[in-house]
Amino acid sequence: MYSERLYSIFKKVGVAEGDTVRITKGTGQKGDGEAQEGILMPQPQGDPNCMVLKLKSGYNIGIAHTAETKIELLKKGAKSEKPSEGHAKHEKGALSMLSCGGTIASKVEQLTGAVYGTMNANEILSVVPELKELGPLNMRSLFTILSEDISPDHWKVMAREIEKEIKAGATGVVLPHGTDTMSYSAAALSFMVRPPVPVVLVGTQRSSDRGSSDNVVNLICAATAAKSDIAEVGVCMHASASDDICHFHRGARVRKMHTSRRDAFRSIDAKPLASITYKTRKVQPLDSNYTKRGSRPLVVDDKINPNVALIYAHPGIKPSLIAKLSDYDGVVFAGTGLGQVPTNVMNNKLVLSILPEVKALMASGIPVVMSPQTIYGRLNMHVYSGGRLLKEAGVIGDGCDWLPEVALVKLMWVLGHTKKMEEVKRMMLENLVGELTERSPLEMDYFE
Amino acid sequence: MIDLKCGIEIHQRLAGKKLFCACDGESASGKPLFEIRRMQHAVLSELGESDKASEFESARRREFIYHVYDNDCPVELDEEPPHRLNGQALDTALEIALMLNSKPVDEIEVMRKAVVDGSNTGGFQRTAVIAVGGSISANGAKIGIQTIALEEESAGIVEEKAGTAVFRLDRLGIPLVEIATDPDITSPEQARTVAEAIGTLLRMTGKVARGIGTIRQDINISIEGGARVELKGAQDLALIGTIVQKEIERQKGLIELRPKIEAGKTQQLKIVDLTQHFKATEAKLAKRGLEEGASILGFRLAGYAGVLGHSLSDGRRFGTEVSDYAKRAGVGGLIHGDETFDKYGFSEYELAEVRKALGVHEGDSFVMVIAEEQKARKALELAFSRAIRPEVPEETRKVLPEGLSSFMRPLAGGGRMYPETDVSPIRLTSERLARIRSSLSQKPEEKKSALLGMLNEELANKMMRSRHLHFFEKLAKDGTDPVLIATTLEETLVSLRRSGVEVEKISEERLRELFNEYGKGRFVKAAIPDILTQASKDVNAKIAEIVKALDLSRISGAELKKLAAGEGNDLKRVMAKYRLRVDAKELSELIGTH
Repeated sequence: MYSERLYSIFKKVGVAEGDTVRITKGTGQKGDGEAQEGILMPQPQGDPNCMVLKLKSGYNIGIAHTAETKIELLKKGAKSEKPSEGHAKHEKGALSMLSCGGTIASKVEQLTGAVYGTMNANEILSVVPELKELGPLNMRSLFTILSEDISPDHWKVMAREIEKEIKAGATGVVLPHGTDTMSYSAAALSFMVRPPVPVVLVGTQRSSDRGSSDNVVNLICAATAAKSDIAEVGVCMHASASDDICHFHRGARVRKMHTSRRDAFRSIDAKPLASITYKTRKVQPLDSNYTKRGSRPLVVDDKINPNVALIYAHPGIKPSLIAKLSDYDGVVFAGTGLGQVPTNVMNNKLVLSILPEVKALMASGIPVVMSPQTIYGRLNMHVYSGGRLLKEAGVIGDGCDWLPEVALVKLMWVLGHTKKMEEVKRMMLENLVGELTERSPLEMDYFE
Repeated sequence: MIDLKCGIEIHQRLAGKKLFCACDGESASGKPLFEIRRMQHAVLSELGESDKASEFESARRREFIYHVYDNDCPVELDEEPPHRLNGQALDTALEIALMLNSKPVDEIEVMRKAVVDGSNTGGFQRTAVIAVGGSISANGAKIGIQTIALEEESAGIVEEKAGTAVFRLDRLGIPLVEIATDPDITSPEQARTVAEAIGTLLRMTGKVARGIGTIRQDINISIEGGARVELKGAQDLALIGTIVQKEIERQKGLIELRPKIEAGKTQQLKIVDLTQHFKATEAKLAKRGLEEGASILGFRLAGYAGVLGHSLSDGRRFGTEVSDYAKRAGVGGLIHGDETFDKYGFSEYELAEVRKALGVHEGDSFVMVIAEEQKARKALELAFSRAIRPEVPEETRKVLPEGLSSFMRPLAGGGRMYPETDVSPIRLTSERLARIRSSLSQKPEEKKSALLGMLNEELANKMMRSRHLHFFEKLAKDGTDPVLIATTLEETLVSLRRSGVEVEKISEERLRELFNEYGKGRFVKAAIPDILTQASKDVNAKIAEIVKALDLSRISGAELKKLAAGEGNDLKRVMAKYRLRVDAKELSELIGTH
């Protein structure tokens, strides 16, 4: 944004962003770099008193406006029109693509270069024309939203729209989605939707404006997964830094493990459901234990209570914070190690135990759930006295290997169905969609 | 005299860290650690139009293999957003700008320049204009400077195979200063002197990278009736004049051809599958291709007899130009009607069948490609588009070793630039510019006259071109005899290298020690080659230790007196025996006073 002062000067001179202008400072002689012609650009992030000028070469430069600066209008800029969303005919037996926003549905603002999320389903098709090779597609945009703003209410919309598509005969559903919270949505949809066809969330780690974007490979592999035999809710993203293979991860076992890499999504303590080779479109199941296409009826159950908190246990965590959680209907801890929080069993005077506050929450009927902040591994609340005390107090999660975010989403979903503590406990500890396993995998390197 | 418009762009790598991450400019091991495979695709361009150059490359759908080195991090792999722009590199670029009287912009806007030939993992190069205007003097002429930009070096091409290109990422992201002159250059000779003058000025800063590939020249040329062409990657200054001359010839040749192409430009492309006519071929190229599952496709060019065979410069024919386009689809080349077919070994019958199938008559020509069908089609489309284009196309061309050039891609327009939103604009403060201005490097002419105060003309000239110039200046400031430093750096080291000594292993620290120890009288000049030879072999040994180990300590004073007496005070005899340990001047004085 420009300063008020500059905007008023622009108005006086009769120029606006997008116009071709000449900006002169001092003498304006050739060679001293004082006169520049170009298109007046918006000022996105810099000094509000610097005019951004696009030179003929395409370069932008910033020119500070001072008392000697002269601005002349050379040519009015053309108004750009935003493309309208086309209404494609709904085809039976097609793949459905429901855009949920995020980088994968973002495009570069033509003038400023800012990435904004308005790409509609048809525009995705124009960016990835190869999608047409996968047969007919029904594309719709559910919302244009940044990943971090996704809320449990969005999950409900997604679940209901997936239901509509499958009922209308979709062979599979692909949901382009922002990557930051994609694993939360994948977990939520895993609990809400038990589909007879694949439901595949997909995103990009590099925006579509760059030739190197991972959008093409991810979208093609996701669409391929959605046509496969694997009737699970999951996430399909790059398997490595290379553009060759994607992994289709089980929605309740996947997590974003890197801020920026293409292969940020990993199945945690589990094998991905399948690998998909971009070039050959080959789907290779890696975990044989999946629901086969058409082997179950569609069940959608979107009842959810979003009033659940996820709290990261840490040294110095204050009992007062825990006490304030009484506003919530459920609390999930990402506990230390095998499932601890500070309970001060050694009676050290430097330690504040939060055990009384946890007990108080439970006593008031608020279920408290434990999950591992180590991400990898299984909880065991019998090894240390802290864990034992929590278990005795009624904290749910001993023996569980769920991811903290999955425990959070599951508790929301369970609390959408019952408030009875015993029933909550029973439902939480039952493996519903692969979020819990009985046997930990054993690999030479657990990261792989 | 033809109307030549020519400007040059000098690309100079800067020493130090990379431009947008904390990686070193050079790989320590020089060996790739692993490789990754990527693809790039068409992108929406900034002003709504797809950039011609980007579109063209994207149509090629190539796969890229990147070799990853120890001086790479996720930023080079396009796996992490850029860090802040390297402040030191910016200071150096601004210093260069100020030395060229260029005017720094008030705020630097980092841009993305779409590049989808694979040479940048992100599909674009980060670049920013940091100054505009200015001038450089070369042989009395003043050539204007258009812009000075600071940008990322691209990845280095290792190998280009059909459909795949292999790049090394060690050099990706090295800061590069690009100096673009106005199109004021009027002759091939002047292009060379301007490039030299800019190169010399850059070296004066002591902050630029040295060695092969660290400086490159692009040349922008247009002649009347021709088109603007960018010739990329001239590394050898001596070739610049030739490159310009050859390009003038090429464009003149194309202009001559224009009326003939103009006459045939409206014809339509009709690709015909000719594979069946070669089922029993004995022609090696075709036979091998067919065995590998290739197709043979072709098209007719009506009225084109002699056109593809028309010579442009130095035996490069119009057919080569057309072939360059076809090659961009990943085929090895093409066969056309103006060629002598003996080398291929086709039978008369096969050729007659081809002509019949394509409908080629007297006065016509044709083009054939042997490749996998999709690739062959793409190649023929590209070849046809070039063949019927009458005007000289605006192109980016790659300089070939002999000064000729080959087509790389259509000339990129301003349309391929859009803002790099991951890097905030940088407001240049007057304080920063004042600080840089207060410690500007000497300009070449100033530097030369300072050197002439210490060295003779020949040594001063050598020092001006030397990569040791700044090291020399530091040492000379410390009080060591400048002539000794200069001869050691520019003559002794050079002759040692020629005799096979690995002088590049001798660190600056050792050289500094050498001059220190010499200053303290620990050894004589004649011992220097032996000491340096040893220093190149035992890189950990200090000079003092080497002198001791090689028994090269100087003999002087009372000890020398005694030794001389033992040799009958015969200077020649003493020197013959103790040349490496005795200073002749001291000895003669001693003997003289005896």
